[in-house]
Amino acid sequence: MAGRTPLWRSWRVIPVVAIGSALTLLLAGVLAGVYGEKLYRAQKVREATVEAQILGATASAAVVFQDQPAAQEYVNALQANPEIEAVGLYDDQGALIAGYNRGGAHLPRILQGRAPPVFEGAHLLVTEPMRQAGNIVGTVRIRSQLEPVSRRFTRYGGAALLIGMAALLLGVLGAAQAALARANRELRHRARALAGANQELQVQIEEREKAEEALRQSQKMEAIGQLTGGVAHDFNNLLMVASSGLDLMDRTDDPKRRQLLKDSIRQAVDRGSALTRQLLAFSRRSALKPEVVDLCKQMEGMRVLLERSLREDIQVEIDCAAGLWPVEIDPHQLELAILNMAVNARDAMPEGGRIVIRGENAADLADGDLSGDFVRLSVADTGAGMAPEMLNRVFEPFFTTKARGQGTGLGLSQVYGFTRASGGDVRIESREGEGTTITLLLPRSERPVTAKPAESDRVEPIQGRGKVLLVEDDDGVAFAVAEMLRELGYQPTRAENAARALKVLERRSFDLVFSDMVMPGEMDGIGLAREINTLKPGLPVVLTTGFSEAAAAAGQEGFRLLVKPYRIEQLAAELQAARNDPRAAGQELPA
Amino acid sequence: MKARANIGVFGAIALSLAVLAGGAPARADSLEYPVKAAFLYKFAPFVEWPATAWGSATSPLTLCVVGDDPFGVLLDRTIQGQHLGAHPIVVHRLDRLAADSGCGIAYVGGSKTQSVAEALDAVQGTPVLTVTDEAEGPAHGIIHFVVRANRVRFVIDDAAAAKNGMTISSKLMRLALSVHLRNGGRL
Repeated sequence: MAGRTPLWRSWRVIPVVAIGSALTLLLAGVLAGVYGEKLYRAQKVREATVEAQILGATASAAVVFQDQPAAQEYVNALQANPEIEAVGLYDDQGALIAGYNRGGAHLPRILQGRAPPVFEGAHLLVTEPMRQAGNIVGTVRIRSQLEPVSRRFTRYGGAALLIGMAALLLGVLGAAQAALARANRELRHRARALAGANQELQVQIEEREKAEEALRQSQKMEAIGQLTGGVAHDFNNLLMVASSGLDLMDRTDDPKRRQLLKDSIRQAVDRGSALTRQLLAFSRRSALKPEVVDLCKQMEGMRVLLERSLREDIQVEIDCAAGLWPVEIDPHQLELAILNMAVNARDAMPEGGRIVIRGENAADLADGDLSGDFVRLSVADTGAGMAPEMLNRVFEPFFTTKARGQGTGLGLSQVYGFTRASGGDVRIESREGEGTTITLLLPRSERPVTAKPAESDRVEPIQGRGKVLLVEDDDGVAFAVAEMLRELGYQPTRAENAARALKVLERRSFDLVFSDMVMPGEMDGIGLAREINTLKPGLPVVLTTGFSEAAAAAGQEGFRLLVKPYRIEQLAAELQAARNDPRAAGQELPA
Repeated sequence: MKARANIGVFGAIALSLAVLAGGAPARADSLEYPVKAAFLYKFAPFVEWPATAWGSATSPLTLCVVGDDPFGVLLDRTIQGQHLGAHPIVVHRLDRLAADSGCGIAYVGGSKTQSVAEALDAVQGTPVLTVTDEAEGPAHGIIHFVVRANRVRFVIDDAAAAKNGMTISSKLMRLALSVHLRNGGRL
């Protein structure tokens, strides 16, 4: 920068230099003009003198011998020259012998004395002696006209004008350059200022990011605190039911009472199972298992559950339009969603009220990013309603209006996640004091409803037969599952991991392999299944896991999968289906 | 018209001045001889003598009047103080002209002892500018005075000048009424 400063300064100097040069040139021009003027005069004097001498030499005899006609002839010859205004030939006595006079010039008749050339304005007067053989025999006087000074100065003026224009041009160029340099300097200055401001902004952004990161971290910690609090509370309640149920079962032999206790324990376990599913749904890690379902049937099936979950002062009304289109959704998630909405409605109505669950078709919907045929499922309550600013937040995870310990804040978040994952959307309307309506818009399915045997607690598990290799690393789970398998009529053999399982398979033959997916060791459940497919094609393999990601992987590769936790009926059905499946452990059918 | 009128006026004035100065066109009676007298020395610058004719750079040019003298003291007054370059002009009066008379210019009027022709013959081949006058007879020198239209004029015999080893300026010849050229022609 320091090195550049003199540069623009030098540009700034240019106009001054230009004007200085112009003045110098002008001075030089004036001097040249004066010198030229002098030269011009000297030349004119020379010309006129020579002219006079020539005239004197030729006309000397005529003058000497007073031959006026001859002298006049010589003089007249000069009239052809327009510059010569007047000529006089005088004899040695100074008397005029011959001459002419143009333009009113003064021509004396008697010449007295001799004089050097004289300038009279725009005229030159030359008086030259007439010589003959060394004698002065007379005098010649010539008056010639000079080019007017004004014309000469006009000529010089033209040159001066050119010089002036050149200097002006130089000056303007210099000024323009100086302005440019100034503008550049300004620009550089601004660029520097901008860079500084940018840097400052960058620092501020970084600081802000740090602050936001810290805030997020603290929010996350608070959320985790809320979640664990809520979940622990719910689980404690469930465990309390199960624990007390088991204690009471030990103390009574009354079959009726034992059945009641068993029912309550089963209900607690179901709710725990639902709770974990809810958590997974919220974290979007639960694999949806979509089926084409009839919403009316699904809602009717939930009537008992709802009445059990809600209080007696809550009236539930299910209004299902005839000819409702089928939808393709995960029925368990749908149940959970309806339950969540119903529980929220219940909690909004501490004084009791009415919940209306309605299903209806919405043809050719065009709402936001939704277009086409949809089924509208709405849950309306007559409760307290919500303030508008709350409506925006109800779908946020962990947002809750309930007291600590009464809710996890995951309910509506599950509803939202499930609906979006099913290709639909959620709308919520609420008025304080009048109630809330949550509407699910689910896309219509063109496929027929999947036929499904009605689930019932009283359905007897399908009895099986054959040798089953059970691969499970957890001893507790392995014991329980082995018991269930024996109960179903299978002969289980347990292996703790995949490597052990492969060794056992080398020695003995089995009718089916039932393997956990996530296990310690180099090989996991999927790896084992692939190995078995290669080694013993045709041997059915069923995988099981509680991890939704592992479940998704298994589904992608086409393996049979049973999601934990499962009930004995589900286990029986899955194993039966696997043994009857013409495909061997999910492999493509042989052509 | 105006220019001619002016020249006419100049001419008249010049004439009267010439009368005063004694060197202008003259009437036969009064001005003829003063003019001739002035002409005599005025010829000198238009004539070139051979270098051998001069004794030194400042030796005088002698104007001789041979025989009858029509000028008298007028000539002396006219010549008084006149020079040809560094050469002073002096007047000599002679009865007879001879080759060794020392004359540069000789006005030959003729006399009883020597006729004009005889005088001319005497200096033929010597560097003498011979001047004769129509009024004195028909014999011609190098320059021969005549009077035409009341003006004193002259004729030039350049051939005679050549014989005497002299050169006459063409400017002078241009003023002559006629010239007998040295190659035999006439102007």
